[in-house]
Amino acid sequence: MAANVPPPGAPRPNSNNFVPPPNYNPSAQRPPDYLAENLQNLNLNRPPSMPNSAPRPSPYGQPPPFPSSAPPPGVPVASPPFPRPGPPPGVLARPSMPLSGPSQATLPPGGAPLRPTGPPVGQPSPFVSRPPPGSLPSPMSGYVTPGCGPPSSGPFQSSSLLSGQVAQRPLQPGARPMPLSSPMIATGQFVPPSSGPGGLMSNGPPNFTSGAIPGAPRFPPIGNVQQPPLGPPQTAMSAMAPPRAPTMHSHLGGSVVSAPPGPPTQPASPFSAAPSPFSAPPQGMPPPPGSPYGSPSWPLQPGQVAPPPPIPGSAQPPRMFGMPPPPPNQSMTTISPAIGQTGAPVAGSTKIDPNQIPRPLPGSSVVLHETRQGNQANPPPPATSDYIVKDTGNCSPRYMRCTINQIPCTADLLTTSGMPLALLVQPFALPHPSEEPIQVVDFGESGPVRCSRCKGYINPFMKFIDQGRRFICNFCGFTDETPRDYHCNLGPDGRRRDADERPELCRGTVEFVATKEFMVRDPMPAVYFFLIDVSMNAIQTGATAAACSAINQVIADLPEGPLTIVGIATFDSTIHFYNLKRALQQPLMLIVPDVQDVYTPLQTDVLVPLSECRQHLELLLESIPTMFQNSKTAESAFGAAIKAAFLAMKTTGGKLLVFQSVLPSTGIGALSAREAEGRANISSGEKEAHKLLQPVDKTLKTMAIEFAEYQVCVDIFITTQSYVDIASISVVPRTTGGQVYYYYPFSALSDPAKLYNDLRWNVTRPQGFEAVMRVRCSQGIQVQEYCGNFCRRVPTDVDLPGIDCDKTIMVTLKHDDKLQDGSECAFQCALLYTTVYGQRRIRVTTLSLPCTSMLTNLFRSADLDTQFTCFLKQAANEIPSSPLLRVREQVTNLCINSLLSYRKFCATVSSSGQLILPEALKLLPLYTLALIKSTGLRTDGRIDDRSFWINYVSSLSTPLAVPLVYPRMVAIHDLDSKEDNDSIIPPVIPLSSEHVNEKGIYLLENGEDCFIYIGNSVDPDILRKLFGVNSTDEVSTQIVLQQYDNSLSKKLNDVVNEIRRQRCNYLRLKLCKKGDPSGMSFFSYMVEDQSQGGPSYVEFLVHIHRQIQVKMSS
Amino acid sequence: MSEMANTDPEGIDGVRMTWNVWPRTKVEASKCVIPLAACISPIRPHPDIPTLPYAPLRCKTCSAVLNPFSRVDFTAKIWICPFCYQRNHFPQHYSMISETNLPGELYPQYTTVQYALPQTSNPNSFDSSPQSQPSPVFLFVLDTCMIEEEMGYVKSALKRAIGLLPDNALVGFVSFGTQVQVHELGFSDMSKVYVFRGSKEISKEQVLEQLGLAVAGRRPAAGGFQQKGVPGFPDSGVTRFLLPASDCEYTLNLLLDELQTDQWPVPPGSRSSRCTGVALSVAAGLLGACVPGTGARIIALVGGPCTEGPGTIVSKDLSEPVRSHKDLDKDAAAYFKKAVKYYDGLAKQLVSQGHVLDLFASALDQVGVAEMKVAIEKTGGLVVLAESFGHSVFKDSFKRVFEEGEQSLGLCFNGTLEINCSKDIKIQGIIGPCTSLEKKGPAVADTIIGEGNTTEWKMCGLDNSTCLTVFFDLSSSDRSNTPGTVNPQLYLQFLTSYQNPEGQMMLRVTTVTRRWIDSAVSSEELVQGFDQEAAAVVMARKTSLKMEMEESFDATRWLDRALIRLCAKFGDYRKDDPASFTLNPCFSLFPQFMFNLRRSQFVQVFNNSPDETAYFRMLLNRENITNAAVMIQPSLISYSFNSLPAPALLDVASVAADQILLLDSYFSVVIFHGMTIAQWRNMGYQNQPEHQAFAQLLQAPQADAQVIIRERFPVPRLVVCDQHGSQARFLLAKLNPSATYNNAHEMAAGSDVIFTDDVSLQVFFEHLQRLAVQS
Repeated sequence: MAANVPPPGAPRPNSNNFVPPPNYNPSAQRPPDYLAENLQNLNLNRPPSMPNSAPRPSPYGQPPPFPSSAPPPGVPVASPPFPRPGPPPGVLARPSMPLSGPSQATLPPGGAPLRPTGPPVGQPSPFVSRPPPGSLPSPMSGYVTPGCGPPSSGPFQSSSLLSGQVAQRPLQPGARPMPLSSPMIATGQFVPPSSGPGGLMSNGPPNFTSGAIPGAPRFPPIGNVQQPPLGPPQTAMSAMAPPRAPTMHSHLGGSVVSAPPGPPTQPASPFSAAPSPFSAPPQGMPPPPGSPYGSPSWPLQPGQVAPPPPIPGSAQPPRMFGMPPPPPNQSMTTISPAIGQTGAPVAGSTKIDPNQIPRPLPGSSVVLHETRQGNQANPPPPATSDYIVKDTGNCSPRYMRCTINQIPCTADLLTTSGMPLALLVQPFALPHPSEEPIQVVDFGESGPVRCSRCKGYINPFMKFIDQGRRFICNFCGFTDETPRDYHCNLGPDGRRRDADERPELCRGTVEFVATKEFMVRDPMPAVYFFLIDVSMNAIQTGATAAACSAINQVIADLPEGPLTIVGIATFDSTIHFYNLKRALQQPLMLIVPDVQDVYTPLQTDVLVPLSECRQHLELLLESIPTMFQNSKTAESAFGAAIKAAFLAMKTTGGKLLVFQSVLPSTGIGALSAREAEGRANISSGEKEAHKLLQPVDKTLKTMAIEFAEYQVCVDIFITTQSYVDIASISVVPRTTGGQVYYYYPFSALSDPAKLYNDLRWNVTRPQGFEAVMRVRCSQGIQVQEYCGNFCRRVPTDVDLPGIDCDKTIMVTLKHDDKLQDGSECAFQCALLYTTVYGQRRIRVTTLSLPCTSMLTNLFRSADLDTQFTCFLKQAANEIPSSPLLRVREQVTNLCINSLLSYRKFCATVSSSGQLILPEALKLLPLYTLALIKSTGLRTDGRIDDRSFWINYVSSLSTPLAVPLVYPRMVAIHDLDSKEDNDSIIPPVIPLSSEHVNEKGIYLLENGEDCFIYIGNSVDPDILRKLFGVNSTDEVSTQIVLQQYDNSLSKKLNDVVNEIRRQRCNYLRLKLCKKGDPSGMSFFSYMVEDQSQGGPSYVEFLVHIHRQIQVKMSS
Repeated sequence: MSEMANTDPEGIDGVRMTWNVWPRTKVEASKCVIPLAACISPIRPHPDIPTLPYAPLRCKTCSAVLNPFSRVDFTAKIWICPFCYQRNHFPQHYSMISETNLPGELYPQYTTVQYALPQTSNPNSFDSSPQSQPSPVFLFVLDTCMIEEEMGYVKSALKRAIGLLPDNALVGFVSFGTQVQVHELGFSDMSKVYVFRGSKEISKEQVLEQLGLAVAGRRPAAGGFQQKGVPGFPDSGVTRFLLPASDCEYTLNLLLDELQTDQWPVPPGSRSSRCTGVALSVAAGLLGACVPGTGARIIALVGGPCTEGPGTIVSKDLSEPVRSHKDLDKDAAAYFKKAVKYYDGLAKQLVSQGHVLDLFASALDQVGVAEMKVAIEKTGGLVVLAESFGHSVFKDSFKRVFEEGEQSLGLCFNGTLEINCSKDIKIQGIIGPCTSLEKKGPAVADTIIGEGNTTEWKMCGLDNSTCLTVFFDLSSSDRSNTPGTVNPQLYLQFLTSYQNPEGQMMLRVTTVTRRWIDSAVSSEELVQGFDQEAAAVVMARKTSLKMEMEESFDATRWLDRALIRLCAKFGDYRKDDPASFTLNPCFSLFPQFMFNLRRSQFVQVFNNSPDETAYFRMLLNRENITNAAVMIQPSLISYSFNSLPAPALLDVASVAADQILLLDSYFSVVIFHGMTIAQWRNMGYQNQPEHQAFAQLLQAPQADAQVIIRERFPVPRLVVCDQHGSQARFLLAKLNPSATYNNAHEMAAGSDVIFTDDVSLQVFFEHLQRLAVQS
């Protein structure tokens, strides 16, 4: 991220380039403007101080226009605030800069407070600072300028993030005026200025620092400010501005606030203007306030919006802002003026600098994270960053992390915060190579020490008392006798003297050897059953050959030993098993023709120890593709096949790996092409569109539950050219702890490599079988729900026939009692499983977090990545059962609610003109926007793509959640020229089309797919170097990346390989070209752009701000 | 005719009747006690039977075939049907007919002729090229639930059998255990089998669909097998599952080499899970799809009871024994009726397809022959029951099935029997390996015996020795009132069409005539026309049938009553004076037959398992009179020094220390060495040159036994035993217990006694006489 931060400055230019008039040109620049405005509204930090809150809201609402344009290129980056460990320095520096710049007293304070948090108030400059920085900065800048140079600066300063921005700002301030916004900003920002100090403060401060919280608010304002302008473009801005101004102040600090006043006036004018464009005008109208609100819903706005923003904008704005205008009366008034301003300046004067709105900053260096320090839980670094964990009592955040690193004492407090309380558990997460391995503890026959009441496992937080003779369970509070042979005296510190020698007493994660008590049968062998589609389609597309080849190669990677058992079957309209027993001269094919009521053809020899059938297996795999070469069987009995395979594995359980190529059309669980039916019958199709994302019936679910009961885990590799109803099929892997791999459209050229790598990773990754997992919590909290790929037969446990390092389970929590402030609340995840070598183990992961009754603490300790992952999973769960619009609305509301809470209760500035974001959550709007535009929440996607997305998300780990919706984009045409960076992967580029140069080649990856976009006018030399061709016409979408003898190609390969390594995924490579559908799909990932799928980032910020204001005032 | 009986009792016609002179009226017939019945051997080979290469002429009203008994007007070119008296014109191609130029069917001595039907007139043939004749089809269905040793035996038997098949014979292979495996022999890439679940009943349609043979969606054979277009079989399924023996012998041998015993685990205390019922059903379905209407046999090799799915005869729990006669009597056999019903359905399917079910059962325990009997008998299948696949009873019998030449069984397919008879004669039905085709007509009697209610029967499988018993009744109208118009002769015509082993469709026409007699006037002629052997066999068959069909039927009592009535009617005696009782020589053997029948396995079923009983009865019903008579009353030959082998009384008194006895009870052949003989043999005298005579004495019964064994199918069990040895029971059980422990003191040394309370023949006769003369 840090790296990015700097770019901000640069980016802007770029952005400017792309978007003609970055700042000034209203129309063209709108984006920026909007952003600016939005930002203001957004104020990352909650400027608690803002008195104006009311007014602000209104403005925002109106602004709606989200002309996403990139207002704050650099700014956003501001994220620096987060500057996790590494970054901080830079960040800090920046902050300081800003601060200084601001010169304002306010600023300084902000800076100081940042970490200190001294000012818990919310100014938690720190928090604010960071988040806002990115976003705010730009806005800030914008505002600042408008309002008053100083104030603006103030804000910036406050936010550490701003630093980067600040730097710019400084310029901006002066410049601002230039950027459109001077006016606009002024409007919005101005207001803030007044509050300025406070607001800024908040922002400025590092988000993370506890103190940050308070500070955070401030910055946000900035963001807000900007946004407003942006959104409804200027109009909105203007409208917003007024209100914002106040907010701004809050954020920015007093200085900012000052500005507001100005804005108001302006706003008025803008408003008028704005109205016209957006229709907002009407809204903007004070009178309508109330009404507007209701209407405000994005959809309505569209129409309105459209006008103001130039072409694109128009459409967008409508959605977002249209409604906003109505806000509180006051706001209304103020707004209207603001609008006027905005409107006028709109294009030109946007205050929000798209380059400065919050954006994720890549962590550049590896951080060393101790899970507990000074007997205090240490908040973990972001999930997406690179860190090394030292387990000092709490488990590594890789295994388990909580959405909030402090636990609210009461349910009310949690509700108030608007944040989710959940654990994300990834019991087999891959550790960093430098981390200590998990220690295995063998208690012998007696088994691990456990609480006799709640059965919680011994952990570092069990308190030994009475000379170590007894211990108190940290979950249920029960006092137990210490088993005699486990007794140990206590040291002067009250700890057992042997605590440091016993992993279970000093580590958050340990593994116990399971005793007989934990086994209902002997641990199962590692069973791998391969099931391959050999229907005509599969054969002809090469899918069968690819699968066979992949399996053939993977056999060598299967765990060695007598306990590794394999089986294989193929299927079309019947199921073909193979007896691989060595005694036979050749494999024997056994066909199960009854696909309505299947059975296994052999009890024993269908599954054979690998060591006994290697030759047969290889022979068979080589001959399968040719054996069915002339098959004319188009039908596929998928359901029957998995059922039959299951029956063959029933006695042992194991992994069932299915390669499926067409829609299952016959036998049990046959499916129909309901996608097509849906299309044919538009009326019902549209009304019930989400039903296509539900399984068609319960057949497969019932089967899957039975599979799970017998410990069969199903993974499905879908290599298809057509609709296969993933919604229905995926139920099986989801219920059995497996996963779906999707290769669409399958290419015999480029996909076999990924298929092989996926399969290889599937069988070689750390994993366990026949697992049961339970999470225990300290009294006061209980598990509400588990969510992920598993089967649940009893309420307390989840059954995982298979669990591996990629699978994450979300565990939502709820209060059933109050917790005591100052105490700690512990969570323990116990996973009983069998290793691939047939050992039974219990992996126990314990996390103990402090309880708090302070809302600010909650915001300060919020874990954005984890929270967002929760939102993502919740949204994915919701999609199949609710209309898409409602899901989007819910997602947006989740975002709004927590920001609102922060704004309401933590932000020091009450001016409504700014959007104040808590530092920790400053990227939430961006991610939320990205989520709304993601495959799963888009209407234009193929049903299967969406189903796959939903399914993919359900087990997605936290570090991969963000990239999924907010992919990483890097430029690869100039890999050669950047030698300075020691990281293999070049700097990340924001996901905005203005950062995509037609002369460049870009790589965008989301952890699953990898797109390489080749601009229209790329230097042929580069093409030749990278792809061995002279023009883009010569490359097809599906490619196999080759390494040519030149450093550029080599570097590209290095980059791709590094990404693959990071993602534990081979990634599906696709070439995208402009004017090609592939190009369209590439650009659909430009989430910051305004598009059919949703507003631009800036517009969205404006919308959020508007909503917050509306709610504040209602 | 009775004269002929001595040498070749059946003559060219292969027909034997209980009464060769028929009483005129129904009342008189019923007084005869022994039913009017004819035992016919429809395709028994005879050197004198001419084969005519053209189609027969049929009467236009009753469709009887022109025969030597037809009156022919050579000038008018007209023949009169002896059955209905219809006048029929000869067709054009008979225009050359004259008293000196007769077609074969009109020669008086050719009461039986065969027509070799041109292919085109064969209703059962395929519509494909007329030159090609359908190849016989053999579908082997092999049980795999057996110990390795048995498996080895059966495999080698199978291999040998396959080697013996004619090259053009189509062969298929199905194995089963817990599940059914249909082997696709035409798949060249690897061994490929279709597996059907054993626990679920499967319809013919499902079999077709699941084997990919359904008309719609039939898929071509996957893999590289080249469609050879087997002549006459347009269906591609044929080339996948049924291949000419010459093409698949190698594949099959390989397959058999690798075939394992059923791999499904058998928990301790359990029987193997064996789905015989489904296997047969699948096999039937496969044949139905591939070769409907053409000659095909399912050859089932079963090694134990069906315990899985439909057709189950016993649970898997070993603690539950397989049903016994007692269970059946008490209706305590839980599975029996259901299984019988299942196999009955299977029988219907097979009959409609024209296919045969052969059963080769080899197990120490029962395998369910009793339940499967219906399917075997109705399709005319072969059945062999042995103790082991390694036993000669199985091995040699199985080989016989496939051997050609002299010993060939002459397995034919797709037979249809039609019977025409003179007016007033009604057909009650047939006991034997056939199925009623339910073709009603005026000749159908009201009461039914066996397969009745028809004048036409289907015999999916028939062979040279196949014998059917036709029961007749007379119409109740009293014709004695109009004697003038009555023809003194009655006629019966048996028309048997079938596909011979070479695939040629044949029609054999046997026309016999017998004389009506007014028995009320004179029973002398009636008595002369009595065939004791035939009567005994018919009674045995009828008794068996009634035992099966009628609940709580008391066979012994019924037989006794019949015998007493018969003796009372035809014996010469003074009322109430047993000592005065004498019986015409024409009846003299009959009481003894009845005595032995009463003691036989057919009536005393409790000494046998239901499977054995079913097996015995099936053979009783399908064998010719001579063989059937041996089943009832074994033959005993005694060998001693200084005399030729001589028939001995079937009496314990025939046992002598210095003699060797050869007992032929059909199912087993016993060579019984007297004590002294056994001692000498044990001392090795036969190996000493000076005792060559002894060696020859030892050898003689062996040689004779081999003659019997060689000619018989199923091959009988050969028991070689010594007096007082445990195996001696095989002999003693068949002997008249004239000497028991009760009178052992009276016996001469070297003789033997039988430990039984059964009455001896003498006692039986005494009672019979007493009862017969009672007024």
